[in-house]
Amino acid sequence: MIRRPGGELATRPLHFIWLADCSGSMGSHGKIQALNNAVREAIPHMQRVADENPNAQVLVRVVRFASGAQWHLGQTTPVADFKWDDLKAGGTTDMGAALKLVAGELKIPPMSDRALPPVLVMISDGQPTDDFGKGLDALLGEPWGKKAVRVAIAIGDDADLEVLRRFIAHPEIDPLQANNPEALVRHIRWVSTAVLQAASSPASQTAPAAPAAQPAIGGTVPAGGAGGSVQAPPAPVLAAVAPVAAPGTSADVW
Amino acid sequence: MGAWRVVGTSVRGASHRRRGLPNQDALRWWPDSGEGPPLAVAIADGHGSARCFRSDVGARLAVETALEVAAATLEGGGADRPPDLAGLEDLVEVLTRRWQAATQAHYLAHPFGPEEVQRLVVEGGAAAQESLAANPLLAYGATLSTVWLGQTFLLYFQLGDGEVLTVSQGGQVGRPLPGDARLFGGQTTSLCAPGAWRDFRIAFQTISAGTSPAVVLLSTDGYPNAFREDAGFLQVGADLLDLIRQEGLDPVAAGLESWLAEATEQGSGDDVTLGLLCHVGALPALLRPPAAAPAAASPPAAAGIAVGAL
Repeated sequence: MIRRPGGELATRPLHFIWLADCSGSMGSHGKIQALNNAVREAIPHMQRVADENPNAQVLVRVVRFASGAQWHLGQTTPVADFKWDDLKAGGTTDMGAALKLVAGELKIPPMSDRALPPVLVMISDGQPTDDFGKGLDALLGEPWGKKAVRVAIAIGDDADLEVLRRFIAHPEIDPLQANNPEALVRHIRWVSTAVLQAASSPASQTAPAAPAAQPAIGGTVPAGGAGGSVQAPPAPVLAAVAPVAAPGTSADVW
Repeated sequence: MGAWRVVGTSVRGASHRRRGLPNQDALRWWPDSGEGPPLAVAIADGHGSARCFRSDVGARLAVETALEVAAATLEGGGADRPPDLAGLEDLVEVLTRRWQAATQAHYLAHPFGPEEVQRLVVEGGAAAQESLAANPLLAYGATLSTVWLGQTFLLYFQLGDGEVLTVSQGGQVGRPLPGDARLFGGQTTSLCAPGAWRDFRIAFQTISAGTSPAVVLLSTDGYPNAFREDAGFLQVGADLLDLIRQEGLDPVAAGLESWLAEATEQGSGDDVTLGLLCHVGALPALLRPPAAAPAAASPPAAAGIAVGAL
């Protein structure tokens, strides 16, 4: 048997980052504890999906934002080792700071350009108290920020849906609305399974066509080609499998 | 200038096997003997997304079309004289339009069935259905890389992701084609896009016995994505040249399937296809050089690449 040509083989990293609102309002009506319970409940399902997709190396991190933003779990953690430490509520809603924090980690390097598009899950019950637009610009200014699969869960009626839509930035995807703990569990489980599954085995997406220009001949790229705009990521897949928003029920507490 | 041979193979992706999907790559060469010049090899990668549910057919039609155009260009003395560089743009437009005609003919002969439409709606949503209704050729979306060999030249064409590498007779690995920043994060240019011929990247290289590459590699993106580092993928080129010198081309060709299977199992999970165009006529005259480090990322180009700004 002849030796195999080439260097070390490796599965492709898939970064999955939770961005959790820990503002003071999350402390009311049991929201923060419901979030802690929901993520903890979803972990085995997340690990099962990861096991079923062994060519994606799922790496989890957690950002908490309140008055400022910090890594709650900053070490890239293989999903098999992922454990959830309870979040606590208190402070304002510095969502923009959270986006800037994540944007810094999506630069290449430390990210690899052979990674799978990362998954960013934003969970919030309120309105940003800092410069959200600046944070979003920083995120979408990074190639992997722009290509990330971005999903948002709105907790309660006070969540700023328009801000979450700007975060998602895809016409076919709306924020998921959770008005009670059961809905939150359902949505968290969905992003931990269906979204993770879609992100783990993405198919190629077609890029926008080049503007009318000459083909690239030996060193030239069509005008407007390099660095040109790119389409949203595997979001159509998410649009197809996203849970349908349920009407309000008597179980709603938020 | 001496003989060239082409060998290659394609393996179904590990994740495709788990999900019950076919191999959506395609590989073919002309003439069937795999010997030349003239000689041409083509590989294609069907996108495989919900919208592109016939991309395995699209990939097959892409390599067939590319080789039809290659044969028409290289036969009848076409391989004996350098090509008209100004005509290369026309060639890729002809190639693209023939692929579109071939896929359109397939679609008319085999309209989308209810099962395909139902699966499209389930997996891709209503927007996917609307986009297919507007442009049925989306279902066949595929990339294409093809390399054509004449007596004194090599022509490289690439639309979309994947890799084309050259390995010089001294073992230096290079990329003869310019990069395309749009090919990132699973996004690719495609034959199914309107005006797709404008997205082709093209390079022309004059060659002689001393300056020609020893090996030209064409691969779909499932192969480079299987390596932890880009340098590890580039190392394939240098290693293959060493192996061909030590063992001969046929044992290397026999090993390809197991190497590519290992790459998809332990790496990308995607379909993996590799075509090797080998200047066997040049190899016996060479002394074995010391192992050469792969070239750093992008600079191309084996000596002798003559590129023309048209």
